[in-house]
Amino acid sequence: MIVKGKKPWQKYMIQVQALTKNYGQFTAANDIYFEVNPGEIFGLLGPNGAGKSTTINCISGLLNPSLGEIYINQSSVLSEAIKAKASLGLVPQDLALYEDLSGQENLNFWGQAYGLAGDQLKARIEAVLEQVGLTSRAKDLVSTYSGGMKRRLNFACAILHEPKALLLDEPTVGVDPQSREHLLTAVETLKEQGTAVLYTTHYMEEAERLCDRIAIIDHGKIIAIGTVDELRNKMGEKDLISLQGDFSDVESSVLAEYEVIEWQNHTVRFMAENAAGQLSGLLAKFPPRSIKQTSVQQANLESLFIKLTGRELRD
Amino acid sequence: MSATPMPFTVAAIRLKKIFREKWSLISWLAIPIIIMFLMSLIAGTGGGKLTGRLLVTDHDQTGVSNFIIGGFSQGPMAEIFTVKQVKEAEGQELMDAGEASAWIVLEKGFGDAVLNNQPTTIKLMKNPAQSILPQMVETSMKLLVDAASYVQVLFAKELAVLKPMLETKKFNDAELVILTLGIKKQIESLEETVFPPQLKLIEQQVEEAEDEAANITFGLLMFPGAVFMSLIFSANSLAVNIWDDASNGVIPRLASTPSALGSYFNGQILAAVAAFVLVVLVLGLFGAFYFGLPLSKLPVMMLWLVFSGLVIYLLFCLITLLMPTLKSANIVVNATTFPLLMLGGSLFPMETMPTWLATIGQFLPNGFMLKGLKDWLIRSEPMMESLLMPLIFGLVMLIVLWVVNRLLIKQLIHKV
Repeated sequence: MIVKGKKPWQKYMIQVQALTKNYGQFTAANDIYFEVNPGEIFGLLGPNGAGKSTTINCISGLLNPSLGEIYINQSSVLSEAIKAKASLGLVPQDLALYEDLSGQENLNFWGQAYGLAGDQLKARIEAVLEQVGLTSRAKDLVSTYSGGMKRRLNFACAILHEPKALLLDEPTVGVDPQSREHLLTAVETLKEQGTAVLYTTHYMEEAERLCDRIAIIDHGKIIAIGTVDELRNKMGEKDLISLQGDFSDVESSVLAEYEVIEWQNHTVRFMAENAAGQLSGLLAKFPPRSIKQTSVQQANLESLFIKLTGRELRD
Repeated sequence: MSATPMPFTVAAIRLKKIFREKWSLISWLAIPIIIMFLMSLIAGTGGGKLTGRLLVTDHDQTGVSNFIIGGFSQGPMAEIFTVKQVKEAEGQELMDAGEASAWIVLEKGFGDAVLNNQPTTIKLMKNPAQSILPQMVETSMKLLVDAASYVQVLFAKELAVLKPMLETKKFNDAELVILTLGIKKQIESLEETVFPPQLKLIEQQVEEAEDEAANITFGLLMFPGAVFMSLIFSANSLAVNIWDDASNGVIPRLASTPSALGSYFNGQILAAVAAFVLVVLVLGLFGAFYFGLPLSKLPVMMLWLVFSGLVIYLLFCLITLLMPTLKSANIVVNATTFPLLMLGGSLFPMETMPTWLATIGQFLPNGFMLKGLKDWLIRSEPMMESLLMPLIFGLVMLIVLWVVNRLLIKQLIHKV
């Protein structure tokens, strides 16, 4: 429950309370609560269209929530927007750069947008260029950069003013491995420096590597939240078994003693303990030649997501 | 060191981009000049003089009416006007089609009335789409009517002698000699009154006015419109740049910073003003030297052009910001640009347009601002009379558009 006008707990750098965003009848974000501490990376994990970007856009002040309250460094994004935004850095999902200016000119512009000037701005530009590995290309036009370099510059623009809270909206989409590694390392460095990071992704491995805590979001709603270990534990000792084939003539009762997540004509998913050990017995319950493909996944975020939603993260 | 105010930062970035896109800048300046020269060549007058068509319907057909009409077929007036005798219906038709500068109708009995010192009427219809030539006809007619009135008063006796001769067409030599001597004597007696120094001064002013009108070339008539064309091109391009910034993600990202989008918009306005100053400076100086525009008028002309450019820019911004996508913004702004150019007097001077088109053109924002400038700059009408109304109109537009655009720019975040 939100108490209007009451300041959030001081220890949180980002606090989201009952965030709801409606577009007519469609609810893009539904009663979302979470908070991010200084020096913590909090992941929002979910498939495309789950509500991650809507949440980020509300936090960064680009969208007004239909309901709820958001605080950045104890300032309300709604009622103290300028103060809140001064503590915030945003790395948008799409590039936000002037392609016909150089990397340095872009940094100069965004630095001034955050109120930096003079020697301080110059020093910060040099520092972030170094941090993202673009010092040698600083004076080149952005239009001559590779996709990965643009992504790195996009990131650099958001950290120029050393924000206390950083929002990263799928920063590694379409990025080459070298640039990806640069970005992930830079995020880890920021965490060590005490920055609160909100990181949205649909890459499970990134979330597992970076995030201290993760919220799994689907259809605008948080369906699970906790540390990576806590979330794994929700799966227990069970493995996820996925079968592809033709199951239109198969009775679902063949899996009566298992936890069935999904049963469709061509896909069956269910949970089983020690799946590898009893796989041959399991498959024998199905008619011959009905199964074309079998996969077994040990408990991880991906399998948890499938268990919770019946869908894959990349759906 | 304190941070540079955001509008100046934004303006500096925009100007940097403008100077990097050299061809864009060159096209803003070069295209209007090229079109102006081409149009001058097509019009066949190059640096030639202003010409017009004067329609005359003479129901009187007397020596007096011939004298009035003849005034336009002789001397310098003959270089400006082509006189065409027409029937009433044909005259009306040509005037309705905007194919003549003015139409004079002399009623039957006009000559008698003049000779008998009776009041009479000359009907003058002017083409509202033209300003200079109809004004010249009207002024000339007034001079002729004044002259006729003086003749009626001063030479009443001589006219009484002349009238029966004209009616019967029988001229007696002795009577003609007496008549001539009488007129000479009357003129000599009036010499001291008619030719004092102050009247000579007035006479000189009339001559100067005629010279000025005669020096209005097609190129000069096109010049202010051509500068407007340059302003329209640059305003079009600068307005669409805002949508570009939105599509490139710059505006949404800027909305997440402490800098307000209003500051961004003010920065765009500053950059537009700087670009207009550059355009107006280059083209204004060109006009001043090529067409011999008075240097004393240059500062006001340049200020007026920058002001007009700003109004046009904010109008384009409004159209741009109302559009749902960059593509539609481009299409609609370009679709608006060409009617504004054509009807607003940039591609063709309004003086050469059919009446109905010129009337529409004068009600377009650029046409209205351009007409005021031309009235003052070329036709030497008083500044207040020419520019006050367009100035008020422009200021109101400026304020309203600035407020509305600042609100609309926030909507761009949700369109991309």
